[in-house]
Amino acid sequence: MLTSMKLILPALIPSWRFFDVIAPSPRIEFSVFEGVDSVERDWHEFRPRPDHLSMIEIIKRVFWNPSWNESLFMMSCAERIMAGQEEHSRHAIMQRICNDYKAALDDVMNDRFVQFRLVFVSREGDEIRRHVAYTSPLERLDDEAQI
Amino acid sequence: MSFELAVRITEIMIALVFLHQSVEHLSVCKRGRGLFIVRIVMCVLLIVGVYTPWVCLGLVINALLILHRFQGPYNGGSDRMGVLILCAITLVHFMPEQAWREIAFGYLAMQLVLSYFISGGVKIVNADWRSGRALADVFLFSAYPASESMRGWAEKPRLLFVMSWAVMVFELVFPFAMLSQETLIAALVIAGVFHLGNACIFGLNRFFWVWLAAYPSILWLQGRILDLGY
Repeated sequence: MLTSMKLILPALIPSWRFFDVIAPSPRIEFSVFEGVDSVERDWHEFRPRPDHLSMIEIIKRVFWNPSWNESLFMMSCAERIMAGQEEHSRHAIMQRICNDYKAALDDVMNDRFVQFRLVFVSREGDEIRRHVAYTSPLERLDDEAQI
Repeated sequence: MSFELAVRITEIMIALVFLHQSVEHLSVCKRGRGLFIVRIVMCVLLIVGVYTPWVCLGLVINALLILHRFQGPYNGGSDRMGVLILCAITLVHFMPEQAWREIAFGYLAMQLVLSYFISGGVKIVNADWRSGRALADVFLFSAYPASESMRGWAEKPRLLFVMSWAVMVFELVFPFAMLSQETLIAALVIAGVFHLGNACIFGLNRFFWVWLAAYPSILWLQGRILDLGY
């Protein structure tokens, strides 16, 4: 009951503080590798945005944008991890990374592990800084069920 | 706009918003499909107008379960506005007296005004917003620009300065649009274009649709206030 109240109260009494400060922005990077002892990591950005969108694609996205909305949820999960709500958010991110990775490949994935990290991008003076704020534990790729 | 008409339009619009969100969800999410299938069925019932009070209550319970499932809103402010609209129209149906029904619906209209006014207020007290730097940062390194090429806007400081002030001034003067029906309609058109722009540039399509669903409440409230002779 208390949890339900905590979840619904911000909707009933919203703060409406949109973009009040431009906080460091999270990026999710993941690495898939063979063998739990592997130390080399080849980090890839999770769902990088396209280089360019045509006007037709932009208009289409006003009506249909599920993948982008899911990516925004991933950003919320990244921020929640940093706020201490780790378990649910880590699981949500890991599931989607695994699903995307499996969907992109057809090969057999024996003994593959996955890990992700959160890189926060911010501006300090005129410089753009990136710093790794969180690195997830390793998980076996096959352990992550469908979302 | 009469109270009954404004509430009915809001019901239909929020049902369409939830329907759209649910179909989007089902296209990417394989777990928890049941919650969204039930939501779709209830949205159809709400549009048709069958057992409306109970359907609204069912949608509130469904929204709560979805909040639990994602441990919070799926898409921040847009989900919160959706739940706020839903709770307001649900209260309208369960309040015993007309005055209380109007207070519930008026609360939604008031929150819509505050959504602009507070948003403008928190920006204007920030020096980075006043200089245009904050909006440049949104384009430069935030997660929102829908494509890499849009990040190039960060290099247009004069344009961003003008855009920042246009947004802040519009948000802060929004409550004054309530002074007449013409100014309110003009303000809502501008606000709609603003949300459409955010949907195009930042991919925030959910905000666009859900904020539109709250507009009938403010159109009704303004008429109600004018009727009272203020």
